[in-house]
Amino acid sequence: MSDAQVDALMQRPEIAAIQADRFPPSVPLRGILRNDARIVTVSPGEIVVREGDYGNSAFLILDGSLRVVLPPGLPRESLGRQTPRSAGLLATLARAFRPSPQLPEMRDVRPPAGAVAAPSKGDARALTFLQDIPAILDRHRSVQLGAGEIFGEIAALGRVPRSATVFAESPSRLLEIRWQGLRELRRHDPGWRRMIDERYRRNALLNHLQAQTFFSSLDEATLASVAAAVRFRTYGDADWHVAHKRGREAAQADPSADVAVPIDQEAVIAAEGGPADSVYLIRSGFARVSCIVGGGRRTITYLGVGAQFGLAEAHAAWKTGREIRLSQTLSAIGQVDVLRVPVSVLVAHVFPGLHEVPAPYATQRRIEDDAFVDWLIDERWINGTQTMLIDLDRCVRCDDCVRACAATHDGNPRFVRHGPVSDRWMVANACMHCQDPVCMIGCPTGAIHRHELGGVVIINDDTCIGCGTCAASCPYDNIRMVEIADRSGRPLVDENGAAVRKATKCDLCVGQPGGPACVRACPQDALRRTGGQALLIHGVDGTPR
Amino acid sequence: MRIASRLATLAWAVAAAGVAALALWRASAVGSGRSPAVATGAVLLALVLLLALYGVRRRLPSLPLGRASSWLAVHVIGGLAGVGAYVVHAGAAWPSGAADQALALLFLVVVASGVVGHLLQAIVPRRLTRAGSEIIYERIPAEIARLRAQAESTILQAAVACGHDTLGNYYAQSLAWYFDKPRFELQHLLGTAAAQVWEARKLAAVERLLDAQERTHLASIAKLCSAKRAIDVQYALQTLLRRWLLIHAPAASAFMVMAAWHSVAALVYSR
Repeated sequence: MSDAQVDALMQRPEIAAIQADRFPPSVPLRGILRNDARIVTVSPGEIVVREGDYGNSAFLILDGSLRVVLPPGLPRESLGRQTPRSAGLLATLARAFRPSPQLPEMRDVRPPAGAVAAPSKGDARALTFLQDIPAILDRHRSVQLGAGEIFGEIAALGRVPRSATVFAESPSRLLEIRWQGLRELRRHDPGWRRMIDERYRRNALLNHLQAQTFFSSLDEATLASVAAAVRFRTYGDADWHVAHKRGREAAQADPSADVAVPIDQEAVIAAEGGPADSVYLIRSGFARVSCIVGGGRRTITYLGVGAQFGLAEAHAAWKTGREIRLSQTLSAIGQVDVLRVPVSVLVAHVFPGLHEVPAPYATQRRIEDDAFVDWLIDERWINGTQTMLIDLDRCVRCDDCVRACAATHDGNPRFVRHGPVSDRWMVANACMHCQDPVCMIGCPTGAIHRHELGGVVIINDDTCIGCGTCAASCPYDNIRMVEIADRSGRPLVDENGAAVRKATKCDLCVGQPGGPACVRACPQDALRRTGGQALLIHGVDGTPR
Repeated sequence: MRIASRLATLAWAVAAAGVAALALWRASAVGSGRSPAVATGAVLLALVLLLALYGVRRRLPSLPLGRASSWLAVHVIGGLAGVGAYVVHAGAAWPSGAADQALALLFLVVVASGVVGHLLQAIVPRRLTRAGSEIIYERIPAEIARLRAQAESTILQAAVACGHDTLGNYYAQSLAWYFDKPRFELQHLLGTAAAQVWEARKLAAVERLLDAQERTHLASIAKLCSAKRAIDVQYALQTLLRRWLLIHAPAASAFMVMAAWHSVAALVYSR
């Protein structure tokens, strides 16, 4: 943004109210506006944020008006979403007996589906237009947003999907603020912090608290008083995937180089030996539970969204009246958003009626099995919900899994049966359908999205513009950019003569009867798609032979 | 006990009971003066067709036909039941006619290669895992070429840096052979340390002729030899996992053709 634009912005009441002197010299307010914000002009019908997308910016409306579509929201097709249909038995049979094409990656060349207009590669916004605004306003409930209002900050800061679609009702100008700038504004300006926190309390916090079993019995008023006492905090590095990818590339280039122990690099959320004065709830991301053993730290487990830490100690301290210290450390794996609930609130509202208190986290596994668990966590395989885990002691390297994948995807396998190995377990290069899908951040058309059922991450070929953002973001190199051809085998080129590329990856055979073909095709039961805590179990004591 | 192992136990029991029932029925038929050959042959042929379905399943992986592992279990159990059915049908004695001898020989080859393959599939994957340097089979030539290029580059660097061609000449005489293609296949299959011993001997032979600077380059070559050895182990074992099927599958196909001809002939001549 130019100095003139920054000067003009500084005159606006929302910006003028910011206490610029509270910002450190290294992160001045003007610097944030210049480097982490830009002014965006939108036309009527243009979708600014799309429900279900993962975005990395928030928007302040400078002028004009926009509409937030209330639940149940717009039809998926209007948003450029793909709705894979289940392949019928006849279609499956026909594909099974159809010869594979000689050329890779053929596509039907048809106009984009529905109301979707594919933008050029340079446009970084979710450029999808709604064609008939009056009809949409008639058919769907919506709320108008006007100048001075902000939206999109919860998804940007919390790395959660956008909860609603917002589109322009009239020609509008928006200030788009990247999450890094938003984080600094929240950190240094009390007004913006209060505004963002209040919006979060109003829009998302109650739902999050209600999901906790020990809050589920509270009435609405009590829950509101609990919510008022909750503190939010973000730990760790939101760009963990960039550092992680660089680290892997560096390790591949020079395996003998010294690598820092990840557990020692993680931001500590609650330290072992510290006071048990709060309960921590994981709002997004992952955290590691560890304890000191000898001169090092031993990983007990990891926690994902919705998990708590410190409840057992806090309850024991209340029950016994003694001072009890935390027996474990909670640290951030990547970026973690944490809700901190003070014990005083729990004592007042929760502990007296709490009959089943979860025990502190513990592990029964042997120390010799720790290497595998640390590998899963350090390499972030825990991020996957459908990680392709291959038991190399069973795998006969027949590649039936690859052939099955190819047979299900027009002759083009969507994964590589190769990847990092720990002991007898290999994580193959196949999309893991992550809990924190960093590949979805920044997709300009929302082509990469979650399937409405099951959360499988899929790519809509019609709206993929081949920009490669998803492939570059994937920390696991599980998305490939491929040059495509039409059904006659003729390579597709754009107006400049450059080959048209599309992102391609495992779609977990969504819509195919019988589930993932790779799993079904393995004659040795060596391949499985798994995720979450089950990953830890497989490696330590699962699938005994 | 897991459900899968319970089902496997049940399948084994059903197969054993089936073969026993077939043997009992044959004994009673012979005792009552009837010829059981056609009936036992029909059972055997049906079993062979069932076994062949596993190959069909493998060629239609996109169809929702259940897990291949279940099909393989049926294939293995059915195959061993087939041995029992064969003995019931043809007896344990070696047949006399040329066609029957060919059929019996093919049956033996199919069964033996199947049993060997099944054992290999249980044993070799663990050895592959322990060997390390996991690699896709088709990428092995490229990986060996990469190691060879690295080795040759190291040799050239040594010649330029040290001004001697001792290491270069020695590489061309002795070590180039090693980096040319997979070596010591049989020794790796047998699990001997022959390749390691060979490497040590070759490297030690030239080491005494090198100065300190050249020896650092020789150490790099030694590391590349070690990496090459790991790839060679992968090649030897993965090749073995593929080769047994090159015997089993064609022999099974030939057996089915001959069995069909045998069935037709038996039906024609039994009238």
